[in-house]
Amino acid sequence: MVFNSLTFVVFFALVLGIHSLPLPWKARKVNLLIASYLFYSAWNPPFVILLWISTVVDWYAAQGLVKAKREAARHAWMLLSVVANLGMLAYFKYGQFFVDNFTVLMASIGVAWQPAHYDIVLPVGISFYTFATLSYTLDVYLRRALPARNFLDYALFVTFFPHLVAGPIMRPTELVPQFEQPRRATGDQIRFGLALMTIGLFNKVVLADSFLANAAERVYDSDKIPGTLDAWIGTLAFSGQIFCDFAGYSTTAIGAALCLGFAMPDNFRFPYAAVGFSDFWRRWHITLSSWLRDYLYIPLGGNRHGPFRTYAALMMTMLLGGLWHGASWTFVAWGGLHGLYLAAERVLRARFSNYRPGPLMFVALGLLTYMLINLTWVFFRAKTFGKAWDVLRGMLGLNVAAKPILTTYYLVTVAFIVVCIVLAHWFMRQRTLESLVTRTPAVVVSIVWALMAFTIVIAQGSGNAFIYFQF
Amino acid sequence: MHSSISSSDDVAAPHGYRASDGVVDDTHAIHRRETASDRPGVAQPVPKRPVPAQPWSRIFVGMLVMLVLMLGGWEWYWRDFGVTPSIRNTDALWAIQRRRIDAGEGDATLIVASSRLFFDLQLDVWEKLDGKRPIQLAFEGTTPLPFLEDLAADPKFTGRVLLGIAPEVFFGAYGRHGKATKYTHDESPSQRAGQWLSMHLIEPVFAFYDPDYALPAVIKRLPWPDRPGAPTRLDVRKLSVTESDRNTHLWDKIESDAQYRALMRKVWEQSFAPSPNDPTPEEKDKKRDEQIERTVKAIAMLRARGVKVLLVREPSGGPYLEFDDRLFPRATSWDVLVTRSGAPGIHFQDYPELSGEWNLPEWSHMSYVDAQRFTAALHAIVVRDFWPPENAPQAAN
Repeated sequence: MVFNSLTFVVFFALVLGIHSLPLPWKARKVNLLIASYLFYSAWNPPFVILLWISTVVDWYAAQGLVKAKREAARHAWMLLSVVANLGMLAYFKYGQFFVDNFTVLMASIGVAWQPAHYDIVLPVGISFYTFATLSYTLDVYLRRALPARNFLDYALFVTFFPHLVAGPIMRPTELVPQFEQPRRATGDQIRFGLALMTIGLFNKVVLADSFLANAAERVYDSDKIPGTLDAWIGTLAFSGQIFCDFAGYSTTAIGAALCLGFAMPDNFRFPYAAVGFSDFWRRWHITLSSWLRDYLYIPLGGNRHGPFRTYAALMMTMLLGGLWHGASWTFVAWGGLHGLYLAAERVLRARFSNYRPGPLMFVALGLLTYMLINLTWVFFRAKTFGKAWDVLRGMLGLNVAAKPILTTYYLVTVAFIVVCIVLAHWFMRQRTLESLVTRTPAVVVSIVWALMAFTIVIAQGSGNAFIYFQF
Repeated sequence: MHSSISSSDDVAAPHGYRASDGVVDDTHAIHRRETASDRPGVAQPVPKRPVPAQPWSRIFVGMLVMLVLMLGGWEWYWRDFGVTPSIRNTDALWAIQRRRIDAGEGDATLIVASSRLFFDLQLDVWEKLDGKRPIQLAFEGTTPLPFLEDLAADPKFTGRVLLGIAPEVFFGAYGRHGKATKYTHDESPSQRAGQWLSMHLIEPVFAFYDPDYALPAVIKRLPWPDRPGAPTRLDVRKLSVTESDRNTHLWDKIESDAQYRALMRKVWEQSFAPSPNDPTPEEKDKKRDEQIERTVKAIAMLRARGVKVLLVREPSGGPYLEFDDRLFPRATSWDVLVTRSGAPGIHFQDYPELSGEWNLPEWSHMSYVDAQRFTAALHAIVVRDFWPPENAPQAAN
């Protein structure tokens, strides 16, 4: 079920109510586990089996890793986990993609091969929970952690509904210890958690779905060629939409977990105020970028084997990171572009290592970063390369004969919201939400909270799925 | 030294939580919080999630009071505008009716149409005359063809179909809610539960809970200046009132409020004038022929297993009727469809009892009172000429 639905409101109230009862800690954990399976099966009940497979395989793989006497046996247990998880991911998420590309490859060498069409439904959140469970066995394999002692705690780590389908991608060391001792949220934690959920849902329901999604759709899902203004507004709208949608989910998840007494890590840190691309990736989808760094970039050699290996590892990490987002070459192009940006930044930082920008140049570099990130969003949002080129040509002013697409309403609302988002990110660049709330008068906090809740209700969101569910 | 995810290591209690006395015990975590991006290649510790030092109880109560007041004001505003609570006509509501066929009502009479038979055929009247309440599967602004094709592919359906033909929507293949069949097949348990909660707890209570009064719709309706080349078009406003089994009628405000009625006419008039976005005549004819072809095929499948299909061209009036006739002249659309499909049809212009003066406030749909009269008149024709009561001699199907 999605957070922005009536079903979730009722579900969460029931879970919170039962979790608050004076029951033994084990019973309350069982409640959370059952609730998490219900949460997941509310989409498509049979897919719970995949979740079980992932859970059980990694539990036994980690046990095997600890008991293994020889390195070869450790490798084997680790490989079992990797193959099982990535195998499921490959089959459900990339099966059709592989077949389509193989067909094209065969056709290019003159072999006419027409495979049967896969009709596979992508299990929601599979990319997230396979990465979470993989981190469990990989941490044990890398001797960074010992396995969980208790299957219930481990199963709950995999399944815990706030992070299950769209992150933040939790590491076992972040969550399993929290299940080991009884915890119940204080009244203030529940109220602050509810405030966080309100902020998250405001981002999703009001900003992303109600005001930004339509403008992006009109530019990207239309067969019309966009001119400069439409291409930029459509892309800016998507930049705002994807942030509000995904950061909104993360904030709601963090708030839901806090209401239950658990802490989850930040997944976004005001990314549109990033100066440079390494800074962007320390602020955007932090739990994915750090996962890729720890389990892909560093094992590929990281920056320890000379420039060539460093750049190769960087590009490989970003290309695979792009593919993680979706089974399409446009996502690979998005990742590749980020890889190129990161490589170029690395070169420039080495070349101008003594350069320290002044305040104006700092902001200018930040805006340049944001503009270049918008270029990458074109490949992320466009369904085909043809559409991506159309939009890019429009952004570069090359579609001179294009007719206007967006009406004044879209131009004004998107520009207003996106400017507000970017300004807010710059204001919050070195702050945390908590520090801002601490310094804000209580009455203002109350008014802002009420306004957000009010606009969520009157926006009447239609329960649209979060964008990252498809990943 | 390796950290551990077992409790043997000192990682169990995250710092930075508000202590029970209300004091934040880790101010550092409030102002600057490290994330996994700051800790490469190590096991990540339990995160810190401090609660800002604020009087949260007062803040929460204040928020609730303001929220209730604002929602009360919003509700009052729309009720003052004339709105009363009604059921939202969504794909999920449609799905509930569609599933009745799978749940033992496969022999039912179905209304498969767009807005005209949706608003103009009153289920209460039909039920009183016929003894059985039809299932309403029409959808406004949507060609019913995908619904018909879905029924044709469903062997559980063996009943009767009143197929409404509104020329612009049907032959032009408009599809505002064309994905309702896909939604029905793909609907998740969560969506079903959400629909139940909404139609039982929210929709019967709150008048503002209607897409026409959603915040983005309200803001979009503000008088934005036109952008050259992309003028603002008026969106269709709330037109109807729907009940939980999708029995629907024209909203009485369209009759009683001259300004609102004029607005709705203006909305339709936007379509009457030629637009650069209109399809070319060749494209329009091609689309019409495709629609006819698909309809003929679906009807053949249905009739092959004994389903009775009756085409109905409902009344329209004024400039809308002129537009209908100009866009898809009867001779090249309705007549062709009836001939090619072999299914019987009722064109309102062929029946004096249907072609009289109807109260069509915005030229396309009947007032509630006339919709009741129309339903009775239509039922009489259907029973007399096409679907006589079961013991009567067999008529056309």
